[in-house]
Amino acid sequence: MKTKDLQLGWHTLLAVIVFLMLIPIVFAISNSFKTLQDAYNTVFQVIPLSPTVQNYIHVFQKLPFVRITINTFLIAATVTLFKTLTSVFAAYSFVYFDFKGKGILYFVMLSTMFIPFTVTMIPNYLMISKIGLRDNIWGVALPQLADVLGIFLLRQSMRGIPKALIEAARLDNIKHLKIMRDIIIPLVRPSIISTGIIFFINSWNEYVWPVLILKSKENYTLSLALQMYISAEGGTEFTIAMAVSVMTMIIPLVLYIIFQRYIINTFAMSGIKG
Amino acid sequence: MNFEDKKQSILGYAFLLPSLLVFAVFMFYPLFYTFYLSFFDWNMVKPVKEFVGLANYIAVLKDPVTWKIFGNTVLYLVILLGFNFVMPYILSFILSNIIKKGQGFYKAVFFLPSVISLVVGSILYIWILNPISGPVAIIAKFLGLSIPFWSKTEGWVIAVLCIITTWKTFGYNFIIILAGVSGVSTEVIEAARLDNVPMWKIFKDIVVPMSSATGIYVFITTIVQGLQYVFTPIKVVTQGGPNYASSNMIYMSYHEAFTLYRTGTSAAVSVMTMLLFIILLILEFKFVEKGVYYEN
Amino acid sequence: MKKYLKKLMAMSLAAVSIMSVMTGCGSNGNSEEGQSASGEKTVIEYWHCNAENQGGLAVDELVKNFNESNDHIEVVAKYNPDMYKGLMQNLQAEAATGNTPAIVQIGWAFLDYFSNNFAYTEPQEAINKFDSEDATFLQDKFLPNILELAVNAEGSQVGIPYSLSTPVLYINRDILREAGLSEEGPKTWDEVKTFADTIKEKTGKYGFYMQEPADFWAQQGIIESNGASMINTENGNTEATFASDEGIEAMQLAADMIKGGSALHVSWDEGCQSFIDGNCGMLYTTIARRASVQKGAQFDVATVKSPLWGDKERKVPAGGCFLAITAQEDEQIKAAWEFEKYLYSVESMAAWTEGTGYVPPRNDVADAENGLKTFLAENEMMNAAIDQMDGVVSWTAFPGDAGLQAEQMLLDMRDKIFGGQISAEEGMKSTQDAINEILAAQQ
Repeated sequence: MKTKDLQLGWHTLLAVIVFLMLIPIVFAISNSFKTLQDAYNTVFQVIPLSPTVQNYIHVFQKLPFVRITINTFLIAATVTLFKTLTSVFAAYSFVYFDFKGKGILYFVMLSTMFIPFTVTMIPNYLMISKIGLRDNIWGVALPQLADVLGIFLLRQSMRGIPKALIEAARLDNIKHLKIMRDIIIPLVRPSIISTGIIFFINSWNEYVWPVLILKSKENYTLSLALQMYISAEGGTEFTIAMAVSVMTMIIPLVLYIIFQRYIINTFAMSGIKG
Repeated sequence: MNFEDKKQSILGYAFLLPSLLVFAVFMFYPLFYTFYLSFFDWNMVKPVKEFVGLANYIAVLKDPVTWKIFGNTVLYLVILLGFNFVMPYILSFILSNIIKKGQGFYKAVFFLPSVISLVVGSILYIWILNPISGPVAIIAKFLGLSIPFWSKTEGWVIAVLCIITTWKTFGYNFIIILAGVSGVSTEVIEAARLDNVPMWKIFKDIVVPMSSATGIYVFITTIVQGLQYVFTPIKVVTQGGPNYASSNMIYMSYHEAFTLYRTGTSAAVSVMTMLLFIILLILEFKFVEKGVYYEN
Repeated sequence: MKKYLKKLMAMSLAAVSIMSVMTGCGSNGNSEEGQSASGEKTVIEYWHCNAENQGGLAVDELVKNFNESNDHIEVVAKYNPDMYKGLMQNLQAEAATGNTPAIVQIGWAFLDYFSNNFAYTEPQEAINKFDSEDATFLQDKFLPNILELAVNAEGSQVGIPYSLSTPVLYINRDILREAGLSEEGPKTWDEVKTFADTIKEKTGKYGFYMQEPADFWAQQGIIESNGASMINTENGNTEATFASDEGIEAMQLAADMIKGGSALHVSWDEGCQSFIDGNCGMLYTTIARRASVQKGAQFDVATVKSPLWGDKERKVPAGGCFLAITAQEDEQIKAAWEFEKYLYSVESMAAWTEGTGYVPPRNDVADAENGLKTFLAENEMMNAAIDQMDGVVSWTAFPGDAGLQAEQMLLDMRDKIFGGQISAEEGMKSTQDAINEILAAQQ
């Protein structure tokens, strides 16, 4: 009996945390369908009294919104594709090849995790401008075509594959590229998918770097579109900002809901073996 | 060196090359360039950079504001570690050893905000935590309490910015720690329970030591990533104010570079932040990588 | 499973390639496209800070009309987030790479910093060179005290005032009535304090909020209206002088209201929201927020002119920006001036005012039939700002490279005084000394 009460207590605590995690999202959706007056005056009315899609209409009419979404997608897709490719190759190299300086190279790559973005921001900006990619979505993508997190996670799951498998294949004189394609990649597919999804989502949500690079509205990404509605001299258009927020959230949320199991399992792995 | 070894080496480097190239051009070169800039007085426009030796570092270390910001950075770390390291650790233990049910559900929900942009999170929280007319303030008023004017109050402002960041990062850490805690042998725990060892003692003496590899990993990423994640709420909500009360070392280098245009000072602060992180990196390799990397 | 992954990859690859085509290979620079498509058109960039809800739509409209009305110039408008500071940052980074836009909006606070660090063409110089038949354009169309706003410490006319905003007092008449106060609102700062205290006492609501964004603009208004001045320039040497008795009195009044609990000390957005949702009776902020206040407020809202100190003169700082020509080549400068002149036509100015809520800097727009006559009749809240035009003074810009740092020190000082950590006298005197020290160091 006592343990049951205790269990109930813990579940209540966890339920409170669940509530705190989800309520902001509920508020965002709710406010995006309110008028500015209702948002300010009927705070707890989760279902709007006079629901309106005016905020969404504003977004589509007044902004090149489709274009902005496509830009965000193109950057995120490119970054994801390249990061995944470079990570697969690098992880394969670390796990299945022996060569001089492997330990040091791994150390060097891992150390990029410890470089704060402020350190690289100014030089990278100057570089991107010099090669003429300022105000260009490819200028946003270019510096981020490799990522240590992907190398780290994929190395982790490749190490889970018995080495004997590879050695057997090598004895049959199968080429490394073929081994990678036909044996390794299928085996670590869940990890590849989930790191890919995380790359995509992170790039989709990126804020500081695109702000520096992109200037014209046609080249904007969603985070920048959102920025236009806050901290303006004319005041924050809260409900419109909420509509843009909701549109920004949709794709990551859908991806997460579909691939939730993979993502969680891959990340759960990342800490265990260091 | 036989043929197979040679081939191994060449392929090994070739497979690493794409990643290395990207890191070299967009991480390491900028790192050295920033280091170089830290010895010059420049504002990104002047044609000439003036060499000033260590003057930027000296100026930064002499400025009382730096020490205030350094103190803030420590406060950020303490709160972030509390929310993103200690709390998930305890919850993981509870979930894996006491209630055991609903793990999948809790994991899925806690991770959900991690996929949402921090800009969205910041705007939402400005509204939710508006001290006069936000929903939290209204509930507090109903209960006869009042919310501090956190955006202008030292201490509170850091706490709130940490809450916003925690909303996003909590789930990620929770999942990793839960995996580590679940990995602890259940037999050992059951045995201790049969001996009537109290739960908190099991946690302290068995679970924490046995999941310490994961623990240190999360501890360090919380420090390194946390300070950078909190940048977005600082920039969106307070711009470091009031009177630097919410600035940290990451925001300080941004502020020096892009508000005051002192690239030299900014670079010096960045280099100092790097130093702090390098110390952590060494710790990580000493305690985490070493134990595992050569083991299997 | 395997199929799944392959499909996913194939789908995303296909999507990337299709979308690349759709967006014209991403975004290969509109300027190049513009040039090749239209032959000899001069393409110029116009940088502005007008977000969608703050004149951004008006900018697009004006640029579109201009591009359609001529066959030799193509203007590309570029929005810069984070206000004039953000634009200055981008300009800084842009100049570092050797490029510049043709025409830019410069916030008043950056007047000196901009003119010391960037190459620009004075408007009169551009007129003499490319538009000599209209040589007296500036003198004919603008009030001297307005033109004066864009003159830097060295006496150079850096640009032409474009967006002009001033602080006004927004009042919630419902709350004033509830507290038994005059619904005409307070006329002086002493009355503001009395009103705020009465509101707090009678209704339990907050009485007053004065904007506290990352600039000292509104505080300059209250300080200088009391007869103090932010700076004093003699023989080319600038000195901070705001810590006079009058200046201290002004800041102390604001601090006292906060300390007494009748005024709010929160961020700008929080403060405005509290006024709009009826939790705060009076709001001292820029006229540029009129549209947003009007749209959100569900009560009897009005504006009154910036309050006075006794019978002293009103001195309200100009907010907004001026336009400066940063083009480097003659052809670009010529095009920039042609576009700029179009922006200052009565019709364009009227469209600009309606779209932004700023006050028109040209002297003949407010009353003109093709200007703002009907608009002002319908939007009475604008009148407070129009009526105080004679009291407009420059937004103080500290000179030289130390200027930005000095501005930052003012903000730190405000945080400390309003936060109650320090008295106005102590805070202002020590900050004034510190600012004078860095100013002296660079002179």
